[in-house]
Amino acid sequence: MFPQPSGVQNNILDRGFKNIRVNGQITGFRVLVKSSYYRGIYVPLIDSIEVEVDGEKFGPGQVQCGFNGKNYEQSELEKLDTVRWQWGEPATLTVRKPGGLKPGWHNVTITSKERISYMPTIPTVRRYSAKLALVR
Amino acid sequence: MTRKEFLRTVAGTGAAACLSEIAAVAQTPGKPKLGVTVYSYGRDFHNGTMTLEKAIADISDMGAEGVEILGEAHIPNYPNPPASFVKQWFDLMARYNTKPAAYDTFVDTMFYHSRNLTTDEAAARLAVDFKLANQLGIKALRQQWPPYPADNKEDEINAPYVKSKLAMETIMKALPMAEKYDVRMGIELHSPTQLKSAFIDSILEVIAKTKTQHFGFCPDLSAFTRTPQRSTKTRLVQQGARENIVDYIISAYQQRLGPEKTVAEVKRMGGNEVELNFAGIAGIYHSSNNDPKDLLPLVPYCYHVHGKFYEITDDLHEYSIPYEEVLPVLVQGGYNGYIDSEFEGNVPGASTSGAIRAQQALMRKILGMA
Repeated sequence: MFPQPSGVQNNILDRGFKNIRVNGQITGFRVLVKSSYYRGIYVPLIDSIEVEVDGEKFGPGQVQCGFNGKNYEQSELEKLDTVRWQWGEPATLTVRKPGGLKPGWHNVTITSKERISYMPTIPTVRRYSAKLALVR
Repeated sequence: MTRKEFLRTVAGTGAAACLSEIAAVAQTPGKPKLGVTVYSYGRDFHNGTMTLEKAIADISDMGAEGVEILGEAHIPNYPNPPASFVKQWFDLMARYNTKPAAYDTFVDTMFYHSRNLTTDEAAARLAVDFKLANQLGIKALRQQWPPYPADNKEDEINAPYVKSKLAMETIMKALPMAEKYDVRMGIELHSPTQLKSAFIDSILEVIAKTKTQHFGFCPDLSAFTRTPQRSTKTRLVQQGARENIVDYIISAYQQRLGPEKTVAEVKRMGGNEVELNFAGIAGIYHSSNNDPKDLLPLVPYCYHVHGKFYEITDDLHEYSIPYEEVLPVLVQGGYNGYIDSEFEGNVPGASTSGAIRAQQALMRKILGMA
């Protein structure tokens, strides 16, 4: 919605990009994304959120979405009619990938599809890309 | 039903009476007030350089009085702000000598994946915003016309600005709540709204029947787009359009040829995909090029105005929208509400605040404000 200077994006965040460790095992990774839409939305409006890292695709079944500190499977979103993806707040995406990502640079693309009722095309597809560095 | 036929009907008798009142109102020219919608600063919020307080301070500094917010963006923890927010809002208004001007609402008819909202659900969701607006001392709503399907399939090209039984049913169910919270639903007339249309007539008919003071219009000046933004032609040529065809499409739009005939003509000229797309409703006809004079009969029912703008040129004109023709119609019609700057463009080399200030200067010049 708001064009950014070339090479700069403010949708996929540097902070929060890390592998997830459970009992010493890496089960996946986490990435935070802010929407480019000009208002917050109730989460049932989200059709799907997908993640792609260095060409590897992770579909809705592999990506949990977190809002306001709680994580949800995407199949649950339609029922959450009081939960919001607030404007300016990142959604926390938790991606299942045993072993996680290697430390260093990654090309990350996130595609979010949302039903914005007044738009001529449903759903609205937003695609964000960023080069992010993972520390651990 | 045409406007003329409508006025001959029983329902139209009320409208005719209202129309004669317009003449009376118009004898006293209006004195619009100026404000800014915080939405205009969206890019700066996104970049992390703007806050609600900074936006209000900036609006105040440029000499505008009204502050407009979009509940779903600017109210913290919407729709359940902390109790301290209401006090903070009024403190900000006092500190910066500004006034609450308007509140923007939406109706997410496609809320659920598997079904549309019922009109009861849609009205109940609107009531949440009415209550919040009321708590913040806001009387005028820039209300989205509920984007339900058109009654008449042929109207869909103007969606969501179409005559719709479900949309009107939602409004009628919301009306008692608007009265209770004393907020006026100004239906946003954004491009591609057609001011002479069954859509507008269906609203006028209900206003005439009910004599409501809580349901009317909020024109968005995008409905008076004469020519696309300056950057459009450059972008289209980069995508593969030919300049002469783009010029032809723009002149066809200016002569109100309509999407079907324009597309047919561009086809005949051997138009490519980019050109054909620009010739139709997804292209230039997503804008609307209404005659500013057609706004006059609606002015008595206008509760808010969105001063949409894209680019103010060095010689102080809006590049796409004829402000010099539209603002005098509001004055002539007796409009005393707010015109709020709504920046949705890009002025090369200028900041958001600078772009808004240039448009405020233009509006002051036209309105003869010192």
